[in-house]
Amino acid sequence: MTTTAQLPLSRTPVKPFYFNTSAHLLRITTQKANTLAELLDALRVCPDDSIFQHTFRTLQELHFIREGFSNDFAHWALTACNEPGLAEQLASVDVREFTSLGELRERFVQIVEKHLQLNPADGQRMAEETFYFCAADIVVMPTKFVAETLQDFAKGLREVSVHSIHHHFIEARLRIKLMSNDFSQWLYEDVGLTDVARALNRIDIYTVTLEDVRKQMLRIVERSLA
Amino acid sequence: MKSQAATNSQSPSPLSEAQPHDQPVLSAQPTPLRPERRRAPRRTWETPPAPVPAAHLDDYQTIVGTAELDELRFLARELKGKTVKMVNSTAVGGGVAEMLNRLVPLLGELEVTTHWDVITGGNDFFEVTKAFHNALHGSEYQLTRSAQEIFLAYNEQNRQRMQFTEDMVVIHDPQPAALIGSRKDSPGRWVWRCHIDLSNPNPQVWGFLRPFIEQFDAAIFSSQSFARQLPIPQYLFYPCIDPLSEKNKEIDESFVQKVCDEFGVDRTRPIVTQVSRFDRLKDPVGVVQAFKLARKYVDCQLVLAGGGASDDPEGALVLKEVKEVAGDDPDIIILDLPPWCALEINALQRASTIVVQKSIKEGFGLTVTEALWKGKPTIAGAVGGIPNQIIHKLTGMLVHSVEGCAYQIRYLLTHPEFAAQLGRNGREHVKENFLMTTNVRRWLLLLRILLRAGAPTGTPFS
Repeated sequence: MTTTAQLPLSRTPVKPFYFNTSAHLLRITTQKANTLAELLDALRVCPDDSIFQHTFRTLQELHFIREGFSNDFAHWALTACNEPGLAEQLASVDVREFTSLGELRERFVQIVEKHLQLNPADGQRMAEETFYFCAADIVVMPTKFVAETLQDFAKGLREVSVHSIHHHFIEARLRIKLMSNDFSQWLYEDVGLTDVARALNRIDIYTVTLEDVRKQMLRIVERSLA
Repeated sequence: MKSQAATNSQSPSPLSEAQPHDQPVLSAQPTPLRPERRRAPRRTWETPPAPVPAAHLDDYQTIVGTAELDELRFLARELKGKTVKMVNSTAVGGGVAEMLNRLVPLLGELEVTTHWDVITGGNDFFEVTKAFHNALHGSEYQLTRSAQEIFLAYNEQNRQRMQFTEDMVVIHDPQPAALIGSRKDSPGRWVWRCHIDLSNPNPQVWGFLRPFIEQFDAAIFSSQSFARQLPIPQYLFYPCIDPLSEKNKEIDESFVQKVCDEFGVDRTRPIVTQVSRFDRLKDPVGVVQAFKLARKYVDCQLVLAGGGASDDPEGALVLKEVKEVAGDDPDIIILDLPPWCALEINALQRASTIVVQKSIKEGFGLTVTEALWKGKPTIAGAVGGIPNQIIHKLTGMLVHSVEGCAYQIRYLLTHPEFAAQLGRNGREHVKENFLMTTNVRRWLLLLRILLRAGAPTGTPFS
């Protein structure tokens, strides 16, 4: 991205931004794990939509938690396996650094593999609770919000559901295969607001709630409108 | 021990006999009262209040927002004109009936016509199904030929009188499971909605029911741990509450006070409450024990508010056990309430400092959901679907024993700020996952998936 000057408010974006959202139905799969070794085995073979469910989706389901939750694997390692060190490593995986579920899966496999290489006895210890692998069946839907101007965009950001925020801001990189999100891509490619695009992309989703993310985005966008 | 609602051996329960207006429903023996506890003139319980009209979709707008409702309408658009039948075993009492009372009209408003049928049966049938219920929760049980025949006979009787012409037929819980016999003549998809904890079922009873379940197109469970190894897709539907129902809506503070006065609950002191049927699986005796342990360290009162669902014959026995353990303790208030006291339950939950649900086995635990929705710090048994609601130390506290429950009562009563944060998180968790509007969304998604040529495979992101 190259820095561009602030655009006048009357500038019409190259194309509108269509706010979509997604609905998910949770399916229980046949895979489960009672030990870290079983978790590793299941991580290697479970379907991609299981990886998606236990990382992206639970972040959405628990979007209101500011601290103490990152993904289901980390949470299980901490609360069921009593492995805080492993849990911290698993929790440090930022889903936004990945543009494919295969890569994300590989990262988790590497972390657990390494832990078990260093601590082989941990592999067979029974966890307090079973980890049940689930999967998400997804339906993507339009919303009534279409942004043809930056003001429209701010309005859409303010009024769409938190699911829509998640869809465009967090899940998006899996669709567009870029280390970015739908909002930043539109602001950069179609509106020419590179700095605003970058600022949005830097928002930390792991230390705030999704509503906080919305508020931060609005502040950034509304500053550019001022 | 104070006993409300005439449940001692000399006075009939309000459920069994109407009370003359001038006959006290409360215990005839005057109970020693603390100076600050006053008891207001009691109301009668012999008649249920008039039914509350069902809420409309737009009524939820202030709670979930317009965007959420728009999403529901979009999902329903391609399902307009489709029909659904829901079949369960009771129209009153219990979480399933409560949920269907709200779900059915909402689906209808979205133009997915939904019919609700209730199976009928004699006492013998409900004795058998109650025994099945306990056995499926892991109790010892010898499945007899007679029990099987009774189960099958009543299912067949119901199957003969019902029609199944809908696009989707949903059978709730094991009682009507054998209605699947009509699937071969039915045009629709059949779904088995299991509300109970099947993680450790009695092998004989599960072995008897399993062949019926395998004939369904899909099964739904309330928690991952309840799912079985079945050759059909299994979906996870968290149960839900209706935030606009009598039990969950906002109510005036004056009414909360009135109810507490009526039951002799002292709001100037901490209140620990469990709301549940008097059922051993809810461990009310354990709650009393935990309360007594906690009270060595902190002053508090215990309210046990429950009643019997129309399909639960054991309630009176369990209530007797609880009273024996409670003894004459003036700080333990046991309330045997008819199933229509939703407003009173609402008030008691809102008056509570802490809510407890110390279940030993649980389907999902909607009383936990109710408490979380009201922002109450909640302590619950780590069983069934409760861990889906209570994420330990984030949205509530999970416990595994009487001692654990006692400790958390002490901890939360002495750390009110932490308790308040738990309450706030708990409410948000319910808003995201366990409200009626989310339930409507799930049913619409399932109907979409089942009625399509094939379910979506993989993720759009592969």
